[in-house]
Amino acid sequence: MKQFGTILKFELKGYLKNKIFVGVTIFLVALIAVVIFFPRIAQVFDHETVEPGISAGENNEDLENRPVMLIAGDSVEYVAAVQQAFSQAFGDYHVQVAQGSLSDVKEQITSGQAECAFVLDGPQSYTYYVNNLSMYDENTYVADQVLETVLRVEALISNGVSAEQAQQILTTSVSHQTESLGKDQMQNFFYTYIMVFALYMVILLYGQMVATNVATEKSSRAMEVLITSAKPTSMMFGKVIASCLAGLIQLVAVFGAAFLFYNLNRDYWGDNMIVNSIFDMPLDLLLYMLLFFVLGFFIYAFLYGAVGSTASKLEDINTSVMPITLLFILGFFVVVFSMSSGNVDNIWMMICSFVPFTSPMAMFTRLAMSTVPFYQVIISLVLLVASVFGIGVLSAKIYRVGVLLYGTTPKIGEILKAIRKA
Amino acid sequence: MVLELRDIDKSFGEKQVLNRVSFTAGSGKAFGLLGRNGAGKTTSIRILMDVFPADRGEVLLDGRAIDHSKIRFGYLPEERGLYPKKKILDQLVYFAQLKGMSYAAAVKSIDYWLGRLEMSEYRNKRLDTLSKGNQQKIQLITALAHDPEIVILDEPFSGLDPVNAMLLKDVVKEEIAKGKIVLFSSHQMNYIEEFCDRIAILNGGKVVLHGDLHDIKRSYPRDKLIVRSQQSEKIAQKFGQRCRVREDGSLLIQLSTPAEKQAVMQRLTETYDLDEIQVFEPSLNDIFVEYAGEQV
Repeated sequence: MKQFGTILKFELKGYLKNKIFVGVTIFLVALIAVVIFFPRIAQVFDHETVEPGISAGENNEDLENRPVMLIAGDSVEYVAAVQQAFSQAFGDYHVQVAQGSLSDVKEQITSGQAECAFVLDGPQSYTYYVNNLSMYDENTYVADQVLETVLRVEALISNGVSAEQAQQILTTSVSHQTESLGKDQMQNFFYTYIMVFALYMVILLYGQMVATNVATEKSSRAMEVLITSAKPTSMMFGKVIASCLAGLIQLVAVFGAAFLFYNLNRDYWGDNMIVNSIFDMPLDLLLYMLLFFVLGFFIYAFLYGAVGSTASKLEDINTSVMPITLLFILGFFVVVFSMSSGNVDNIWMMICSFVPFTSPMAMFTRLAMSTVPFYQVIISLVLLVASVFGIGVLSAKIYRVGVLLYGTTPKIGEILKAIRKA
Repeated sequence: MVLELRDIDKSFGEKQVLNRVSFTAGSGKAFGLLGRNGAGKTTSIRILMDVFPADRGEVLLDGRAIDHSKIRFGYLPEERGLYPKKKILDQLVYFAQLKGMSYAAAVKSIDYWLGRLEMSEYRNKRLDTLSKGNQQKIQLITALAHDPEIVILDEPFSGLDPVNAMLLKDVVKEEIAKGKIVLFSSHQMNYIEEFCDRIAILNGGKVVLHGDLHDIKRSYPRDKLIVRSQQSEKIAQKFGQRCRVREDGSLLIQLSTPAEKQAVMQRLTETYDLDEIQVFEPSLNDIFVEYAGEQV
């Protein structure tokens, strides 16, 4: 136990004195400071330009600055009507009636004079021309709505309904309220995403560090003395827990700084839903996060440590850790795809939330974005804790055998055989 | 204290590395563990230090199974290396603490040893700023700082200049004088011969020779004479087939029986002008080549 404490202290000091560790932490804190202070800083610079509340106005100069949207078609009347309707619907555009032939219109778009064009083939169809179609281009969606309304109003009028009545019928709206009795995914999505991503980054980075740390001791032959001075279990647990503490310290520094900066700038963020939802994360979820983080970290750090002990050269590590990394990335993808699909209780997530290698991310995501029966959480945690201890002991055994093997990286079968004997 | 390895077997996979290895080493004396590369020396040392268990056999201290939690070992491995990027004091304290020392006691002892090995100026330097020989002296401190009862030195002299080798010799003599069990493993026979009272020669995982070095030498028949003289040619003519010129120019004369020794020596001294005459004793080198030369 005393030995374990000595190792833990030595390893942790190694992390905290590491220039890269300190540098990365400071960089991340600074980055977060810039992001969170941004609205405050931006306001200072914006002060002289536009006072909020005073609208920019509908002057001509402003209209000239907007991107040009062209309307073309065979029926002059219809084109004019559409131009008027679109001017109202597309406030960001300068909507003009196109002059010249279709090729002229295309030419204007490719040359950049106009951003897009609607060429009306008839009352119920049109072609939309744009130079580069953006992923977020919703112009056709808006145009469909506008044109449909125009058609419906006309249809109603031709059936003897007055124009006012037609407008009234078409603009009747239904109001609703949503109350989520379980979890509100819209609220939770962002902080769950941030937490899962933090988990992913920290485990991969620190897992690699543990593997490198072990392999460095082996390749520098410091292992020859270490293995005769300390028990492999003390070594393994000391290293892994030290790296876990280092990771936690870094996370607390980064998230703590973020929380502090946010509170200093709360007023400037005002009603930004995403940012506010992140910082209003419920406490119980934060505790779950901590629990799953620590357990998930251990299980992977042990594996990385064991793999590191079988490598004779630092160069071998990258290939040796590949299977573990792939396993982890696979779990990450299942979680991320399920999150974006909105159904976090699908069969894959159910399986992943009980398999110890994926449960830290999967169960945490389900807890955050859905309602999970308590017994499932307990089963998942029991399986995870048992696996952490099992894998911890196993990896210490692999370590004991692995560190004394030099030369080519041994095959899994050979290691298992040696463990059974040791 | 008497350290004993008794009937140790060890296999790695199909390969049997140790086969009924037994030897004893006593305190206040140095013991030499000899053998060619791959003979099983490092494996024996690792079993002795409980890095891994033997398949069979036992390690005894004063006749009882050794308790590794009570006995302190100091080990200088043949494959040297510590933490190149860490400060020397930090890592020496770390290793001493792993061996159970308190921080204060560790620093005190390390300062003593840094002074003893003339390394005090490097106390706060990084290890990789030191020369190879000096790094080796630092590593020696990891083997000695915690005042171990059993000291195991694997090739301690390799890579040291003559001055440092002299310093190390003095340190080793001090440790022996303190009543510690000192185990040497080396290929440099002159050092073993200088320090070790007892030796064991391993060959192919078996102990092929074990015992008191002096007795071993004595066990060879005393039927050869070494003669150094200005009249070597005349002597060589006289003895004919029974005489051989050695590499250093001296003559090796084979007698028909050990009993003849006294008479021949007297006759030679009276007849020729001799610089030196002595009974031939094999060097450790000769013994080693004889026992370890052929792979068993």
